[in-house]
Amino acid sequence: MRGFRTEPDGTVSAELTIDEVAILLDLTSQFSELLRQRPAGDEAIDRLLPDAYPDDASASAEFRRFTSDGLVDRKLATAGILLESIRVAVAESTAAGATGEQATVLRLDAAAAQSWLTAIGDLRLTIASRLGIEEDGDGGAPGEAMTEVYDWLGFVQGSLVDALDGDQP
Amino acid sequence: MPQTLERTELHEQTVIETPWVTIVWNDPVNLMNYVSYVFRSYFGFSREEAERRMLQVHNEGRSVVATGPREEMERHVEAMHGYGLLATVAKADS
Repeated sequence: MRGFRTEPDGTVSAELTIDEVAILLDLTSQFSELLRQRPAGDEAIDRLLPDAYPDDASASAEFRRFTSDGLVDRKLATAGILLESIRVAVAESTAAGATGEQATVLRLDAAAAQSWLTAIGDLRLTIASRLGIEEDGDGGAPGEAMTEVYDWLGFVQGSLVDALDGDQP
Repeated sequence: MPQTLERTELHEQTVIETPWVTIVWNDPVNLMNYVSYVFRSYFGFSREEAERRMLQVHNEGRSVVATGPREEMERHVEAMHGYGLLATVAKADS
């Protein structure tokens, strides 16, 4: 994809290749599964639900007890909106006559765009914890497939913010 | 009952003097333009203010983005976690 652009009606749009559609569907499904299982001690889960009181374990535990279920539910709902908007876009592009390798046209209203921002951000946080990205300057192993996906998701999210801000590339 | 009144005043004063803060911390994953966007859309900061605080997070490692009662700060932190930002609650003087 070349990045998101703003349409005259205020929506934002992008063209996804068939590979990009497959990657987004696969990663988001895996992410949702991870959130549903919430394995104890998983670094990605710890990053998605961080301590609210780093110097106070019991206050952090209490905060987590009151907030984590709601946060997980909202993250799952957000990921679900991303999945659904891709499925709709694929169905509409197919109905419009797109075949095989042709691009899927994705169009997002303001609410869906918000969900995309958060969902892509959560995917990046999850992949970053798998790649061991812990400090500014860490970038994962160069040339590895997951590093490239991580960088691409950064491009997708950044271009979506720019489109919502009205900063066209 | 002047004594009771005095105590109430003292108590209110104490409450007012020890606010809590919401701190957003730097992390290597979230994009600078995304953090700035979150500050604008959630806290209602102007573009300039959001940019200033985002740069403070990036350069100084953290920024205090809100001050007030503990419950309110916890709501902000929960919202920041929803956006994927690293945020914590602390006493204002710590």
